[in-house]
Parts: sequence; C-alpha cells; structure tokens
Amino acid sequence: MTSVKANAGALTNFEVLDLLNSRGASKDTTRVIASETVSRSEYKVYDYLMETAASTQTRDSVTKFSDKCKGFKLAKAEILNIINLRPSSDVELTPILEKPDEREIDIEGILALVQELLPPLPTVEAHKENEQEETEDGEQPNMETSV
Amino acid sequence: MFCLSEMEDTVRVPPDLLKLPLEVAIKKVLQKLLLNKVLSIGLCVTIYDIKSAEGGFVLPGDGPATYKVRFRIVVFRPFVGEVIAARFKESDSNGLRLTLGFFEDIYVPAPLIPRPNRCEPDPYNRSQMRWVWIFEEQEYIIDHSCQINFRVENISYPPVPTEQAEDAKPFAPMVITGTIDDDGLGPVSWWEGCSERNNEDDDT
Repeated sequence: MTSVKANAGALTNFEVLDLLNSRGASKDTTRVIASETVSRSEYKVYDYLMETAASTQTRDSVTKFSDKCKGFKLAKAEILNIINLRPSSDVELTPILEKPDEREIDIEGILALVQELLPPLPTVEAHKENEQEETEDGEQPNMETSV
Repeated sequence: MFCLSEMEDTVRVPPDLLKLPLEVAIKKVLQKLLLNKVLSIGLCVTIYDIKSAEGGFVLPGDGPATYKVRFRIVVFRPFVGEVIAARFKESDSNGLRLTLGFFEDIYVPAPLIPRPNRCEPDPYNRSQMRWVWIFEEQEYIIDHSCQINFRVENISYPPVPTEQAEDAKPFAPMVITGTIDDDGLGPVSWWEGCSERNNEDDDT
C-alpha cells in the first residue's frame, strides 16, 4: 500500500457527515437497514458528528462562510476549525486563533459572521447520569434546509 | 479533523465477490482491510471513492482477481493546534482521558490541566481520581457532565510492542495529547455565560 498523496484536501466535519448521510446513515436507532452500506465504526463517527455543529450546517452556509472569511486574514486551518466548532463567544474563538493580538484579527467581525451564517449548535439533552444513545428527536425549528 | 488521502494498492478480490459490480467489490475488500485501522497517515474512517482500477488478472494457482487500485479515503488526523470537542472518559493521577466515540486515546497529562488544581479520589467512583481547577476561589470540577474542548498538542504513533505485560492497557496505535490549559478550553460549562459578562476581564 503506498500513499500517493497523504493530504489530498482537508474536510470539514460537515462534509464527512454529508458523505455518511449519502451512504444511508441516519438517526434510526435500529440501524438495520443501512448496515449494508454503513459499518459500525462509520456509525460511531456519524454519532459523534451529529452532536457537533456539523449536524445543523448546510453546504450553502459552509461555502458562504468560508468565502466571506477571506476578508479576515485567517489561515485555512483556522477557518476549518471555526466551521467545525462554531464558537459563539470571544472566549471560544480565541483558542482557535494563533496569536490573535499580533495579527489584529477582527474577533467581533468573525463572531458576527458566525452568528449570521452558521446555524446554531444542535440542542442535545444534557447527558446526566444515564448517558442514553437516544437523544430527543432532532427536529430543531431553526434548522435550515438547503434549497 | 478529517482529510482526504489518496492511496494506491494491489487489491485481491475474492471470487465470491465477483458477481457484484467491480467498484462495489473492490470497495468491500478495501473496507475490510482499512476501515477503523490506523495507518501512518491517521485513522481510516471511510472509503471516499475509487479513482481507478486496472488489471484484473488472475494469477496462476490463485483464485482472486488482482487489481491495481487508486482510491481516496477519509482519515481522521487532527492538526496540531486544532480545537476539538470531546467527552470525558476517565481520569487518574496522571491526567485525563477523553473520547470522541470513534477514537478514545486522547490524553491530557497533568501538566496541561490549568493550575492551580488538585487531584482527589472521586467520591462517585472509587477507582478514579477527579481533577478540580481552582480559580478565584471557585472550584471547577472536570467530569462527564458536559463536552470538553481541548487543543491538540501532539499526535504520536507508538510502534507496535513485541511483548506486553498481562495487565497492560490495550495497545493504542495512535495517541493524541491535548491541552485544556487556555481560555475557552476545558469543559464548556466553565465558559458559559462568559459572553454575557463584560469583556474587560478577558482581553489577555
């Protein structure tokens, strides 16, 4: 096995989630129907991603966001990180950026853009003592469906 | 966190799979070989696509058809400095262990937990130790109550050991070392409500 190109492109969590969705992964708890095309280990990745910001994002919002980010002098890795994490406050954004003070980054501007373009995080039931797999059915009223 | 990797390999498709369309058969063989395995480039999550497959020769004395395949896989390989949302798995006197569900070997060693802190036996779970951060006379516990954000410090791929003690931890082919010692890192509950406070405290 040889590696032709170890890094043929970084993927946002959203893109990986989209890929798994297109294979047939879903929130269905029995997981029998899709088990032909989606293996158990892939399902674990799917479960993780469904709890992150990626589950409410759309291709449109992610592309628009990364386009608009060009004006903020951010590194590609930082834009990727912001899309994956969807920080909603200054203190959540700072660990993502490298030396923000020296580079005079417009933190307020970036947060406003995140608020405007990226859908909010999914509302998951707080995992208390019993960490059940079944979360509340994911019907969030403000979930954008792509046109 | 994830990236595409292009690979090339010689794939042997066993005869019982040859009734399927070629792409599907090759994908099945690749999945069995690579899925959930750690390669030098990271943890293989899924096969993305097959770019080309040539050959299909059957070597004498060998049942499977051999193809030279070029394909792309999605690998889990975070970059150093990336901030990732994880969940608490367990902790001991050396530090914390976090999990992503599909990947559980994330360690936050004691020096990378914000100080001042203290480590005490967990009252809810006698076999574990619990870490507590002490800041401005308030105690912040690190436990499984919420998501923990950490920043990747280092990724290492320890070589496969030739011998292992009976009770040693199962071998981890890929280990991520993370830190939670920075603004915004650690359990998210520590920072909730920070956006409501004035910004005068946190412009370091």
